[in-house]
Amino acid sequence: MVELAKPSAAVIEVHDLHTRFGAAIVHDGVSLEVKEGEIFALAGASGCGKSTLLREIILLQRPQSGSIRVFGREVVGLDDEEALPLRRNWGVMFERGALFGSLTVSENVGLPLREHTRLRDRIIDEIAAVKVALTGLPASAGPKYPAELSGGMRKRAALARAIALDPRLLFLDEPTAGLDPLSASGFDELVRRLKELLGLTIFLVTHDLDLLWRVADRVAFMVEGRIAGVGTMHELSKSEQPLVREYFYGPRGRGAWEQSWKRK
Amino acid sequence: MSLRSLSASEVDADFELAHDTVRCIGSWTVGRIAGLERRLDHTTWPRGAEVVFDGSAVTAMDTAGAWLLRRALRTLERSGQRVALRGLRAEYEALFAMIGSPDVEVALATTVSTPPLLERVGAFAWHGGQQGMKMLSFVGEVAIAAARCAARPTRIRWRPILYNVRTAGFDALPITGLLCFLMGIVIAYQGATQLQRYGANIFVADLVGLAMLRELSPLLTAIIVAGRSGSAYAAQIGTMKVTEEIDALRTVGIVPIELLVLPKIVALAIALPLLTVYADVLGVSGGMLMARTELAVNHTVFLDRLQHALRLSDYLVGIGKAPVFAGIIAVVGCFQGFQVAGDAESVGRRTTVSVVQSIFLVIVADALFSVVFNYLGI
Repeated sequence: MVELAKPSAAVIEVHDLHTRFGAAIVHDGVSLEVKEGEIFALAGASGCGKSTLLREIILLQRPQSGSIRVFGREVVGLDDEEALPLRRNWGVMFERGALFGSLTVSENVGLPLREHTRLRDRIIDEIAAVKVALTGLPASAGPKYPAELSGGMRKRAALARAIALDPRLLFLDEPTAGLDPLSASGFDELVRRLKELLGLTIFLVTHDLDLLWRVADRVAFMVEGRIAGVGTMHELSKSEQPLVREYFYGPRGRGAWEQSWKRK
Repeated sequence: MSLRSLSASEVDADFELAHDTVRCIGSWTVGRIAGLERRLDHTTWPRGAEVVFDGSAVTAMDTAGAWLLRRALRTLERSGQRVALRGLRAEYEALFAMIGSPDVEVALATTVSTPPLLERVGAFAWHGGQQGMKMLSFVGEVAIAAARCAARPTRIRWRPILYNVRTAGFDALPITGLLCFLMGIVIAYQGATQLQRYGANIFVADLVGLAMLRELSPLLTAIIVAGRSGSAYAAQIGTMKVTEEIDALRTVGIVPIELLVLPKIVALAIALPLLTVYADVLGVSGGMLMARTELAVNHTVFLDRLQHALRLSDYLVGIGKAPVFAGIIAVVGCFQGFQVAGDAESVGRRTTVSVVQSIFLVIVADALFSVVFNYLGI
């Protein structure tokens, strides 16, 4: 699983990426690198191009120019068939879960396994139950349909599906958006625990400052289509850039910062 | 970390049995354990003091592989055999321990079994009965809202009524006209061969006139409107339900039925009879065209005969059914819209159900009308 990787090898390399929607410039020369085994967060205000970058990395959208390498392989311009080996090695959790409404939670989790492995149905059901338990869902959630779950449980179910194939790389889009503080902090811990147990590399997009302080190893801060700063939260909080400072030292930023100090 | 290095150096998961030691080898990962669980199940395990699983040759392990190993150990333990696991790497050991946590056991115990046939039949019948009751109570709610509006006419919402008359009525003119014109042609054409045989060409006017005015125009129009508008009602209300817009209406003090259901019923009750008249005209025109080309009955003769063949009651019977069909279509469409629960998939299902149910009920109602009219001699 992880033993072949050299420490600090780059899992995702984005180089000089440009994206435009008509006249609107979304990315204006974005470059970043995500290292093996780290939790890398992409932060920034709403509409700054974070989610678009995520969608470009996972091949749902195409940039105008630039290069994106995942596991050392260029992904820009790959077709669905060429992308399959990559997709089997990463899991994606969407902001609103994107669980299939016609399937139960266990069926949702089992779907990638049914599609991509030759395991027997009974084993797939058992593995799905294991994943459901790993993400901290109660056992009773397995036979339920997504519509019957609360928002927090739906996020956990989405995470269970994202890790169904034991990916090496996990993408999380706004994992704590729409969760109450208690569920959100539960989710922080869950992400950390899974990363350690499964040896995952995690790329997450968020504007939740608490999540950034608590789980991210490194954070890239995006402003108006450019990366304004990369580093640990402590490095970023000392940044001289006015926009970054504003983000961290606004009233909410201060609160999250003080919290993280109290914990220490 | 590249893809190739990860996959090429891995070998399929396997195990070797020697005395009372099971040596696990290879990569116990999700892509490399297919078939292994079957072999694990069918192995005759040694009966010794203790069976030892040696994990030192496992090159990789993920949750799926860890589960498979845990499963094999569990099966042995349950049969009363003592087992031990040794030599697993520390990180896999942690994974293995996590797989064996009590949470996982509880989750595994919660497997769903399909209920027996009798229970499913019962549940189906119960569900059907409940739907019927819900429909009945919906009709009641609509009636109460209608009575309230009738008592206070200022509450009637004219704009949505007019809007719905346009979308359900006016916008449906081309398709309804075309289909009924074609239907008139088909009936005259089918009748032509039979009538010619007896030299009764002129009776084509009776055939087309009675068939279109009494039965086919109202029925065809209702079916088209059910497909066009009934489904749209279900989808619109269903989507509003999913996005909580219905609840939002309630919170700002608007009764959803007054805004969303009553105008649709009223609009369809106006539009459907008008559409039926239009369909009558187009249907008879189709028949007339065919009568001239196939049976040499020209338009003047045809129209003259039509006046003798049709009574006013034939025309009114057809038009009179239309408001009833309108009520069925609008109520079923709106009811199914309100039955949407949860997600987008439910909107799709309810929309389909609304079309099937309203067409079914329209035809049943039409059959009842036939019986009643026959009894009354109209």
